[in-house]
Amino acid sequence: MNLYQPMPMRVERVINETSDLTLKSFELTFENKTDQKAFFEKYNPGQFCQFSVFGKGEAPFGIASAAWEGPFVRFTVQNVGSLTQTIHNLQPGDLVGVRGPLGNGFPLDKLKGRNLVIIGGGCAFSTLYALTKHIMYKEHRKDYGQLTIVYGARNSGLCLYKADIESWYDRSDMVIHQAIDVPEEGWDHHVGYVPDVVKKVAPAPKNTSAIVCGPPIMTKFTLPILSELGFPPKEIYTSLEKRMKCGVGKCGRCNIGSKYVCKDGPVFTLAELNDLPQDI
Amino acid sequence: MANIDALRQEVSRVLSEKIVDVVLGFEAGSLPTRNQPVFIHKAKESKRLVDNGFGSNNLAALLAQRPKDEKIGVICRGCESRAIRALTVEQQLNRENLYLIGVPCRGIIDWRALERAVDGEILAVAEDGEDLLVTLKDDEKKLARAEVLHSACRNCRQPDPVGTDVLIGELPAREGLAQRSPDVAAFLGKDADARYAIFSEEAERCIRCYACREACPMCYCTECFVDHITPRWSESMVSKGGTQAWHIIRAFHQTGRCVSCGACERACPMEIKMEYITDRLNEDMQDMYGFEVGANDSDQPPFAAFSLDDRNRFKE
Amino acid sequence: MSYKTTPVNQFPKLVSQWIKKYDVTAPAEAKNGLEYKTIGDPAEMMLNNRVNTTYAPKAFFLPQSEKLFTVEHGRFQAPELKTKPRLLLGVRPCDTRAFWLLDTVFLAKGEEDAYWQRRRADSLVISFGCDTPCASCFCTSVGGEPFGREGSDIQMTQLEDVYVFEAFTEKGSALINKLPEADAATVKKVKALQKTSAAEMPKAFDNTNLRDHLYALFEDDFWKEVAETCLGCGVCTYLCPTCYCFDIVDEVQRGERVRNWDTCMFRVYSQEASGHNPRPNKAARTRQRVMHKYAYWIDSINEFGCTGCGRCVVNCPVNIDIREIVSAAQARSAKMEAAK
Repeated sequence: MNLYQPMPMRVERVINETSDLTLKSFELTFENKTDQKAFFEKYNPGQFCQFSVFGKGEAPFGIASAAWEGPFVRFTVQNVGSLTQTIHNLQPGDLVGVRGPLGNGFPLDKLKGRNLVIIGGGCAFSTLYALTKHIMYKEHRKDYGQLTIVYGARNSGLCLYKADIESWYDRSDMVIHQAIDVPEEGWDHHVGYVPDVVKKVAPAPKNTSAIVCGPPIMTKFTLPILSELGFPPKEIYTSLEKRMKCGVGKCGRCNIGSKYVCKDGPVFTLAELNDLPQDI
Repeated sequence: MANIDALRQEVSRVLSEKIVDVVLGFEAGSLPTRNQPVFIHKAKESKRLVDNGFGSNNLAALLAQRPKDEKIGVICRGCESRAIRALTVEQQLNRENLYLIGVPCRGIIDWRALERAVDGEILAVAEDGEDLLVTLKDDEKKLARAEVLHSACRNCRQPDPVGTDVLIGELPAREGLAQRSPDVAAFLGKDADARYAIFSEEAERCIRCYACREACPMCYCTECFVDHITPRWSESMVSKGGTQAWHIIRAFHQTGRCVSCGACERACPMEIKMEYITDRLNEDMQDMYGFEVGANDSDQPPFAAFSLDDRNRFKE
Repeated sequence: MSYKTTPVNQFPKLVSQWIKKYDVTAPAEAKNGLEYKTIGDPAEMMLNNRVNTTYAPKAFFLPQSEKLFTVEHGRFQAPELKTKPRLLLGVRPCDTRAFWLLDTVFLAKGEEDAYWQRRRADSLVISFGCDTPCASCFCTSVGGEPFGREGSDIQMTQLEDVYVFEAFTEKGSALINKLPEADAATVKKVKALQKTSAAEMPKAFDNTNLRDHLYALFEDDFWKEVAETCLGCGVCTYLCPTCYCFDIVDEVQRGERVRNWDTCMFRVYSQEASGHNPRPNKAARTRQRVMHKYAYWIDSINEFGCTGCGRCVVNCPVNIDIREIVSAAQARSAKMEAAK
């Protein structure tokens, strides 16, 4: 086994997620059945992969699909640099390299039987989308209590997975709160920043875990609100992003104190983060 | 060498009279053949300062990272004063914020050469005129200072500080300063294959730690070309394509800018000789444009200057 | 284990035999002093030198630059790592201890680094016990010893005109089992030498609770003071026998994905694509270097990630001495504690 060896995967479908074309989702399928089997044996929402396009390098992206969705793996990629620009140019049929699933996902076993508040913002919502899809699957839904989603984007054009999320409003087994930063004509959901929406919605902490993923600034302001609402630090989960190279705890780059985000995370409880040096 | 008491006194004075916020000089290091650069913040700390042949660095390299509005005193030898001049000309330093304390220089001792020459654990070194008295575990050795001088200092053409605010001590009479680097002449005396062989052998040892770059007062780019990713200008590896490109491109960036202090070579743990390349390029600058780095407070290095009146127009 | 012996003047003959079977790699004269070289002639090797090599031998298992894959049509193909087995000869115990420490990273169960693993398996390490430490040495301050055994297959000790060998592993034993046994008096001398060498080594600092002292200073201005004259070069980390951070880069013209050593002392090391840098200044980067060695390694495996070889002390262009940082940190933290 070679830790650094990407498996070949093929682009199956490319989805333009947002009106400004900065976010695209890519659904990739496995070239080798053995890779596919090994992947799904290990995969758990919240994990990530190293996505490579040779010549441009490798970068980590959270997995945005649930295992039951199919033999494909979805990544939602924001176009911010040279590698992501190359990824955005990919067409169905193109061959890419992927390593993963890497890291530890959300602790599904610990979350079983509990109510969940899933709070996300921007493109970091991708792994939360995978988690939600996992929980909503008919075989899994009974394992969890009430499900509340708070999802914010800067404007309606930047909302991800639009059609799917729209359909969540019709479901009786979950509550969805979507928010955009400033009012828009025709928008009849929340307006405001995610931390404020969380404050307004005020989820009850009893037997409830909160899972927060978003831009650092959103996370920073949301965590204290959850604490105010009475969520204990060990029931608040968040996923960190750091510059990574190897993704398997060898190259040394993504450490916070003695923990590696790639290997020991990327999901940490607030209690764990409070014990680490503030090197973020 | 400056009278150390006079030097400490002056530093103490400029700090207590608030002429400067901080003074940069050398203190004794943790090993007998090393000095450590030191920022003196309080007048009473000035007793930490030393003035000897073991100040390997060009202190001007430490100025770029200081706060913009800080008033800073710098103890300057010739090469430091020239680097500061060149940096001022390139608008990297504000001369108004600097107080330059010139000291006479007798050249920097190459501690590696010294340790090899005595071949034993050195416990102490005393400088006595033209000699060094080296105390070993169970022996004492005396060698001529000139024997273990760093090559950049042996070839130095301008050891005396220029453009300083004050001079501590007296400048010695200088005789027989080489006008051209003998190392360059020796290198040019060889044919192309031999020159390439020498360069390859040196570059081959490079471990790309960039100590040369960081020790260099004139390497101040916020983003060095080797750190640039799109496009990438050289191979990232310690391959020929990586290390040779590093040394060549760096040298070209130094054309008419290198102050020949040799701080790069002294910082290099692999002891790569590289100064002859920039010295050679500087000789070209002198021959072709009559330009000498740090010679005055106004002339821009030819390759860094732009003039609308340039007689050599770009091709239309 | 038994002790074997060979006269010093017979040793080159033995090495000649080894050269036929192994890439025998030993300290040899280089333009910059002493460096490991794969020797063709025993006369090249320089054992029992007063100083260590400048470049640490970790590079034989984790080369500074190495090809991870060749890439054709987007498919990644790992190169075959077929090498003549290597016999690393005359490695100081501080450097073999570093192999042992790095094994915990690169040979972690289920997460083995195939490249390190292969090179490590294909090699034999003969360490050379130290009886005269340098002024920059401090192995006993960080858990090592001048005759430490970790990371070596065989240790050799010089007693005037004989070398005495002790094997710690099976492959080590296999290499020297034909040599004559050392007599009881010789063994006694070796053991005495080991004892006195360790005892005579001065302590650079007391490492008790060092981890806690460093954590207590995490937010302190201490690091700003320590790093005030740091140049931000990679000398300390690239020469360090235990630093192992690396970068992975695609070299398009070569059609290769390579890995190169990297260092936390470089600004670009932690620079993120968004522009955010979690370690934006030299103080934060110096803190990372020191805390990784003396606090984070302790958290991970309860050993220091420093072997006291002194390369960073000797070669830092501005003479920032990690021993002084440690001592100063302890003093500062103790003072803070007292003020509480």
